[in-house]
Amino acid sequence: MPALAILRRDLKRYLRNPIRTALLFAMPLVMAAIFAVVFGGGVDEISIKVLLWDDDDSLLSMLAAGAASSDKAGRQLDVVPVGEEGLAMMDRGQASALVHIPAGFTDDFLAGRKTTIEVVKNPAERFLPQIVEEGAGIGASVLSATSRVFRPELEQIHGLMETESFPSNLAVAGLSSGVNSRLNGLQEIILPPVITLETVTIATDADEEAEDVGILAIFLPGLAVMGTLFLAQSATRDILRDREDGLLRHLLTAPVSPGDYLLGKCLSVVMVTAAGFALMTLAGAAMGVAWGPPLATAVLILATALAASGTLLFIMSLVGSERQGDTLTTIVIIVWSMLGGAFMPLDQMPGFLRPLSASTLVFWSTDAFNSLILRGGGLADILPNLGVLFTAGAVFLGTGTFLLGRRIRRGAI
Amino acid sequence: MIQIERLRKCYNELVAVDDISFDVHDGEILGLLGPNGAGKTTTISMICGVLQPDSGRVIVDECNIWVEPKKVKRQLGVVPQEIAVYEDLTARDNLSFWGSLYGLSGPELNHRINETLSRVGLADRAGDKVKTFSGGMKRRLNLCMGLLHRPKFLLLDEPTVGIDPQARLNILDVIREAAAAGTTVLYTTHYMDEAEQLCDRIAIIDHGRILALGTLPELTRRAGEAEVLRLTGPLNDESVRERLAAIPGTRILGLGEDSAVLAIESGGPGLLEILPRVLDADLGIEDVSIQRPNLQSVFIALTGRELRD
Repeated sequence: MPALAILRRDLKRYLRNPIRTALLFAMPLVMAAIFAVVFGGGVDEISIKVLLWDDDDSLLSMLAAGAASSDKAGRQLDVVPVGEEGLAMMDRGQASALVHIPAGFTDDFLAGRKTTIEVVKNPAERFLPQIVEEGAGIGASVLSATSRVFRPELEQIHGLMETESFPSNLAVAGLSSGVNSRLNGLQEIILPPVITLETVTIATDADEEAEDVGILAIFLPGLAVMGTLFLAQSATRDILRDREDGLLRHLLTAPVSPGDYLLGKCLSVVMVTAAGFALMTLAGAAMGVAWGPPLATAVLILATALAASGTLLFIMSLVGSERQGDTLTTIVIIVWSMLGGAFMPLDQMPGFLRPLSASTLVFWSTDAFNSLILRGGGLADILPNLGVLFTAGAVFLGTGTFLLGRRIRRGAI
Repeated sequence: MIQIERLRKCYNELVAVDDISFDVHDGEILGLLGPNGAGKTTTISMICGVLQPDSGRVIVDECNIWVEPKKVKRQLGVVPQEIAVYEDLTARDNLSFWGSLYGLSGPELNHRINETLSRVGLADRAGDKVKTFSGGMKRRLNLCMGLLHRPKFLLLDEPTVGIDPQARLNILDVIREAAAAGTTVLYTTHYMDEAEQLCDRIAIIDHGRILALGTLPELTRRAGEAEVLRLTGPLNDESVRERLAAIPGTRILGLGEDSAVLAIESGGPGLLEILPRVLDADLGIEDVSIQRPNLQSVFIALTGRELRD
């Protein structure tokens, strides 16, 4: 049967070009992995390397360094004590920033003299040095406010530190009493705070589930659908290439009708697309994505492959050349993928775009996968999606085949 | 036998094939000779059933190709002008696919593939991808695809375009062998030497019309010339034309910037009489060559111009 011979030939062409085939199949997986790396890690994963050059070596600077190395801050800050060699390290780009506490900093602070904390930023980095600068700025503001509010007490402390002898009990008691009365005075102003900030993360059931299934499971279905569309694009493009290279014309001199040829091509396109999607699914499973019930997943893969093949075949039947087909289908695939939720969860999209999503097969497929993976649904839950995908596939495949067949018979292909 | 009856094909205003009729007899090689754009490819496309004619019909062994396309196509082997092979497959893959379209499979298919590749000298490259082949090798593989199923009728559309002389000779030899084995061949070309050497009969086609059809001697007789004189010199002058036309027993076939083609008509004064008259006419002739009547002179006689690429 000629159609089967054409199918075998097409499959052989994929096997004879393993690198091209592997690249086609691997593209969505690579994209999904990139998405997972980019979006999967939180702020907790970020660590800012800061060099602390403490020329003062006094209690106050040690307290400041200790605060930066506290348990919570320590997860995000990697504070490395350095000397003057820190400047050379910054020249080599070995840290995001260097904080320099100058000699006499504590003395000046306690005496109420103007003093400075220097921050040297790494120009090769954009955001992390900015965070250090902002943090140092906040620290300086706190110290300035403290200096103004507790000025008498700080001067008292400074006086005590200047004396050679150990401070008397009376002096320490006087200092404590002063601080206490100062805090009492402030209590009415700062306590209780007029405004408090409470941060609450509102999570839907799906999000809670999503946290469990992992970020890859959120992005991979949409990207796999997009990858399937690109696979279908590559497979259907062959029809136009066959025409432009004279292969179709030659083929039709054999006992092969346009119908035989198109049937063979359709079988090949659907099979390659479905196989590609299935491979992506298996690779996703190997990376920890739980796809849901196997039967429902298999039917959904088939429906998506059919819809992708039909859509791309239909578009190819409308264009005049391979180049036109490539351009148009690439635009359609990218736009559909964006609208359909391949790049971002649908609920994150602007409201006015959401109704447009339903016009894309990416949406119907991705939504069904979300139902299986995130909401624990089964075959019955995705029946509407399957209906849309199978119908779109059949209609577009039929229309595309009819239009291409007519063009071949008229000699336009 | 292939019978072509009043075939006509137009592309909008352009008449590509204009009401042509001819037969290709069993076992013969019929050449369809004409310049590029003469209508050769359009004719062969209609004969092999990939292009529907506006009118007329093609009968192959008493079957109309547009009524029983698959039955007729099983008997045809077509070698197209463009190299129609899958470059990312091996030579064997290409032939295996092509053979399967004609119902060949298993050991028989393998035997045919080996046999055909050997005939064109590609047996040692059977397992190589076609993209590694030279142009001549691809042409020979193209020919293999037309011969693999041992067709009764072989249609070749300029199968030697753009290849080296050695590959060309190989292709012509294979076609002769096929014809000797009983295959009926329709061969289109714009190379006169190929048509002269290969074809039993030749149809000269130009602007979609068959201008003449017959064996080489029949065609040259029809042109009515014994020899052709090709003159070189500053001949593009009205007075020169008048003096050339005044030489009895000759006919001007063509007149260019610095050349003229003069036919010596059969039945008149012979070459030995005419040549001195031409040289004595004081035309400023720098060189003279004498050609025996050939397809070039026939084509010039029929169209008033030379057959060029």
